[in-house]
Amino acid sequence: MALSRRSGRSRFTLILLVLTSITVLTLDFRGSSAVQGLRDGAATVFSPLRGAADKVFHPVGNVWSGIWHYGDVKKENDELRAELDQLRAQAASNADAAKQLQELQQLAQLDSLTQYQQVTARVASGPIGNFENTVQLDKGTNAGIQVGMPVLTGTGLVGRVVQVTSGNAVVKLISDVDAATGVRFTTSGTKGVAHGTGAGNPLMSDSDVPVGTNVPIGDPVLTSGLVGSVYPPDVVVGTVSKVAPAGDQINLSVTIEPAADLTRLSYVRVLIWLPSNP
Amino acid sequence: MMNALRAALALITLLVLQTTLIAELPIFGVRADLVLLVAIAGGIIHGRDRGAVIGFIVGFGYDLLVSQTPLGLYALTYCLVGYAVGTVQQTVLRSSWWIPVALAFGASAGGVTLFALLGTVLGQDGMVNDRLGRIALIVGVVNALLILPALRLVRATVPPERHAARLSL
Repeated sequence: MALSRRSGRSRFTLILLVLTSITVLTLDFRGSSAVQGLRDGAATVFSPLRGAADKVFHPVGNVWSGIWHYGDVKKENDELRAELDQLRAQAASNADAAKQLQELQQLAQLDSLTQYQQVTARVASGPIGNFENTVQLDKGTNAGIQVGMPVLTGTGLVGRVVQVTSGNAVVKLISDVDAATGVRFTTSGTKGVAHGTGAGNPLMSDSDVPVGTNVPIGDPVLTSGLVGSVYPPDVVVGTVSKVAPAGDQINLSVTIEPAADLTRLSYVRVLIWLPSNP
Repeated sequence: MMNALRAALALITLLVLQTTLIAELPIFGVRADLVLLVAIAGGIIHGRDRGAVIGFIVGFGYDLLVSQTPLGLYALTYCLVGYAVGTVQQTVLRSSWWIPVALAFGASAGGVTLFALLGTVLGQDGMVNDRLGRIALIVGVVNALLILPALRLVRATVPPERHAARLSL
């Protein structure tokens, strides 16, 4: 009798908790401001604690990463040294070309990334969970960062800010399955949308490039910057790594390897730029 | 009062560790899940009733700190895991060190899979993919290795009720 009463109480507790969870989920799906406020509040409260813990644990993470990726890091270091020598030789001629380009852009009144203010931030932590594709930065609204601002490294686009507190910002990476990036293929000038396919995977564009379009392997891919786009124009996204007919046989399925190494980010730049309304 | 304060401090410490230290230590690209481990330990020590409550509380705390998954998804999954583990534990008549280890492995792998399935049902793309098996396996192995110290910590933080203490491991 007592066992049956206890069993009934257990089921009642479980049902209550499940219903509470479903209510919270429903409120979140409806975009309730209370739910978002709760999350923002928790982020603000935990921000200093996590900031302090990050300072302690970040070196631990570096050592851990060094152990797991020792071979890769050594190989990459050798490759980078060779690349650096080549780039030093190119730098002088590029500086002259860049100056000429800037003058032309000013004459034609074209936008350039150099005109935007930028904030350099450290990646305080990678994705929190196994189903997250975000990174957290050690700077927030105090440094002028707002939700929607693009984030990039010296090599290419990283993503955009999706949550911000006074001292931290969360960036959703372009490789996230929900992320869509307006892109332009430089050889053909064709514009399209590249979707993320998950952490560590390349981007895909499979419904905007008609069969027959000249999209060579290695073709640089830039942001399109169309009106209403969430990124400014001409930010390097990556390079084309594979081209195949798409399922519809009308378009090409183009695989784009991101230029920025999204799995090992340490420092990034946040562009003080917000999308204009379409 | 002291118990509640101790539990709150333990929860904050757990969440800070999960979102900082554990986030820095991926194993083959997979992060361990201490929050799930605590939900499982709660079910083993306290049974299905309190196990579900502990799973819900730690899951909801985790929900608040992640930004990409819907709020309430971790709470729902981990309360079901806490309840299921508590139910299985109550059917076990003899005690042995390997029972919680096996339970932690199975419940962790099952919990990760359940989370991905519920997320997919709720419209979250990309959760059920070729990485899911690897995530479930690694989280299962790590939690199996950590369950014995975790049981001690959870028991010290949330002591079992007297009649239950006599039955627990």
